[in-house]
Order: sequence, then structure tokens, then C-alpha cells
Amino acid sequence: MAGVTTGDVGGELRLGRVGKALRVVVAVVGVVLLVNGSVRMTDDVWPFGPMSQYAMTVPDDASITYTRIQAQTDAGTSVDVPLNIEGAGVARAEIEARTGEIVKDPSLLQQVADGWARKHPDQPKYVKLELIRDTTQLVEGRVEGPPKAEVLATWQVRR
Amino acid sequence: MSATVEQRTGRGTAIANWFTPKIALARIAWLRTVLYLFVILDMHAFVRDTRLKGEHPGLYQPLFLARLFDLPKPSVANTTTLYVVLIVFCLIGASNRLPRLAGWIVAPAFTWWVLIGMSDGKVDHDHLALVVALWVLPTVAPNKARTGSVYADQTTSEAAGWAIRCVQISVISTYFLSAVAKLRSAGWALTWPGSAILTWAIVRRPHPVGEWLLHHPWMLHVMQWVGFIGEVLSPVVLWLKGRWQLLGALFFIGFHVANTAILLIHFLPTVVCWLAFAPLERIVPWFRRRRSSAGDAGQTEDQTESRRQTQQQAGA
Repeated sequence: MAGVTTGDVGGELRLGRVGKALRVVVAVVGVVLLVNGSVRMTDDVWPFGPMSQYAMTVPDDASITYTRIQAQTDAGTSVDVPLNIEGAGVARAEIEARTGEIVKDPSLLQQVADGWARKHPDQPKYVKLELIRDTTQLVEGRVEGPPKAEVLATWQVRR
Repeated sequence: MSATVEQRTGRGTAIANWFTPKIALARIAWLRTVLYLFVILDMHAFVRDTRLKGEHPGLYQPLFLARLFDLPKPSVANTTTLYVVLIVFCLIGASNRLPRLAGWIVAPAFTWWVLIGMSDGKVDHDHLALVVALWVLPTVAPNKARTGSVYADQTTSEAAGWAIRCVQISVISTYFLSAVAKLRSAGWALTWPGSAILTWAIVRRPHPVGEWLLHHPWMLHVMQWVGFIGEVLSPVVLWLKGRWQLLGALFFIGFHVANTAILLIHFLPTVVCWLAFAPLERIVPWFRRRRSSAGDAGQTEDQTESRRQTQQQAGA
């Protein structure tokens, strides 16, 4: 690790044999782990998992589904619930992952109303929530008509 | 016979030297400042739900690393501690004080922070280069013989070069391995670029630019092909020099601008790591040259010297 150094004029710091060999080995092992993760592992092994965001092939005749929650408020309005941390405190991905559970037990939607009320005490409260799935049909890779909405679950909010 | 052995050791040395180029320590100092400050931004803008998961650990599904090291379930106490520790040591690290101590604390702490943030069933792939950068930065020892500012230190170092190279490899891996994932998900077939993936993404995240593009699927296919080919060819950037490397970097930054416009996905934690390719060590000499040429031309000798050195590192 010895070397000659002088301020910001210049100089050179070299690695010893061991330090250099060790670093090369660490870098090569890291690359091998990354390739291994991409070829045969899952997201579970982050950060060595596959870079699979948006990596799937979507066929030209796919049905594209999108899950959202619509709310009726005590001000008489109908609104789309903002599914993020600042909105109702729940992310859309979490709702999509738990759709089956919510359909079986709509009372799970209560936490969405509670989350909204807790984070936005001065805004209109939710009185009724609907879990809705929009389905957009593709025909030859193009969007065919407006999405079809299907109500999957309904929940009257408890006070 | 001995010639082959010599040839082989020669190649071994060349490979080892490729992994440990000589790069000025000033580049490490700049990266420390930018990346440790970026971590603070990241904790508030991107992976920002870690403390919330400490309050509501109901959906926590520990990832492999968390299970391997038997990390405790997130709680208000441990996520708040992580938060405070990260803020304090990121600020110390960003100021280039106690860089190794601060670095060895920030690296595992931020890895854990992100690990918790991604433990609810959704894993993002934009943090690889940043996490690797945090683990390699503290391996570079501060230069005890330095006299001037850390940001001006033109002393070249193989240890610095290795850290930089690791970040560069991680940035490029993010792209190249994305192409691999696209082939794998189709059962190792090349169907992704011609598929309706961008249409699918826009329908699910509608906004004006995307909705206009929905009427022109051929444009989306062109973008898919350009993106995929760019990802496959991305490793070339590691061997490009100077202006060509800059062009490569600009291509991928443009790729992220397009992604942000179409998909609202910015990948900033990867984008900031492109700075590992930038000759940041030239900032101070450039600034000094400008200042001195504005005043009298008294330090021409110094200028020639520093220019000679910065040119040697160009593209490394």
C-alpha cells in the first residue's frame, strides 16, 4: 500500500499484491452472484435478484386489469381513493396483492377509511368503499374501447 | 513454454489492472459528498416507508438477507434508530470527515433500510449501484499525506479505482441484466421488444403523454427495441473513452428521461451513480484555471502540470 503522495499536485498510491488480488476476487464474485441471480433466482435474494421490473412479455390480445378503490364521502361526492402512503396509507401494490382476501372479507377495507381519516382529519370522511377492477381489452396490440368496471367488494364504513 | 506462462501472467496483470485503474482520490471525495447526501434524499423521497413499516409490521415478509442475518422485525424503536444513525453518519460522510467510520456504518444501515422498505412483496431494481457504492466507498483510505482540499486531491489510487470500477460495473449490470430478465421471463425467447408491454404499463398508469402514445403502438415498439438493444450493448460503455463514453452515458440518461415521461419511473438511485464515470477530479483544477485566467496568468506551470495529470485519467 506504500506510495508517494503530495497534496493536490499529484502522486500515486498503489495496492499491494494481496490487496489487489482480494479486490479482484470480490468484484468477480459479485458479478457471478449478480448473473446467477438474474439467470435462476427470484426477487427474494435482493440485491442479487433478477432485474424483472417490466420484464414480462404482454401478448397482443391481453386483458389488462387495474384495481382501484372508489369512495363515497360524507360530503356526497364520489372520489378515487389515492392508494399511496400520503393518501390512505396503503399502496396499490398491496391492495392488488390482497384482492382475494378483500373479496372474501370486505371489512379489510375499513383500514383504508381509517388511514384516510387519520391522515386527513380536515377532509370529507369515506362512508362507503368499493373495490373495483377495470379491465381493458387489447386487440392486435391496440386498446379496444373503454375499460369495463367490475365491483369486487363493497364496504359500509364503520364510524 | 515459459513464453506462454509469461503471456498468461501478463494477461492476469492486465485483468487485475482493469479492475483497479488509477483514479484521483478527488473523485472519491466528490462521490462521498453526493452519494451520502443522496441517501438522505432517498430516505425521504424514494424508500420512504421504512419507518411506516416499523409502525405497521403486519405485511412484513423478510427477504433472504434479512433471514440469513436473522434481522429483527421492523419496529418503531429499530426503524427510528436506523433513521437517526443514517442521517448523522451520512452528514459526517458527506463532509468527508471520518470517511471510513461513517462509510462502514452507512453501508449496512442503508442496506437494512432498503431491505425493510422492499419487504412487502414488491422489490424495486433501481438501488443496486447505490448500495454497492456505499459498500465500496469506505474501502478507500483517506490520503494522510494530502495538503490541500480533498476535492482537489489529484493523487491517483488503485484502491479508489477499484471502488469506482465496482460502481461502474453495477450501473451497467442494472441495464444488461434487465435484458437478461426479459429473455428469461419469456422462457429464454426474444418476444419482449415486439410485445404490448408498454401499452400494458400505460393503461395501468395513465397520463397525457402515454395516452397519446397508445394511439401509435408502432412508436412503443420502436422504443422497446431501442431500449432492449441499448441494454444488451450497455457493457460496451465500460470500455469506451472520453467523448464516446459521455455519449453512452447520455444515451442511458435519455433512456431514463423517456421512462420518466412514459412510465413515471425515474430510476434516480441508478442515475446518480453514473457520476462514477464522470471525471469529477477535474472540477477543482477547471475552476482554478478559470479563476486564474480571469486574473493574472502567474501560474501557468501549475496549470500545465494539473492538465497533464487530468488528461492521463480521462475516461478511466
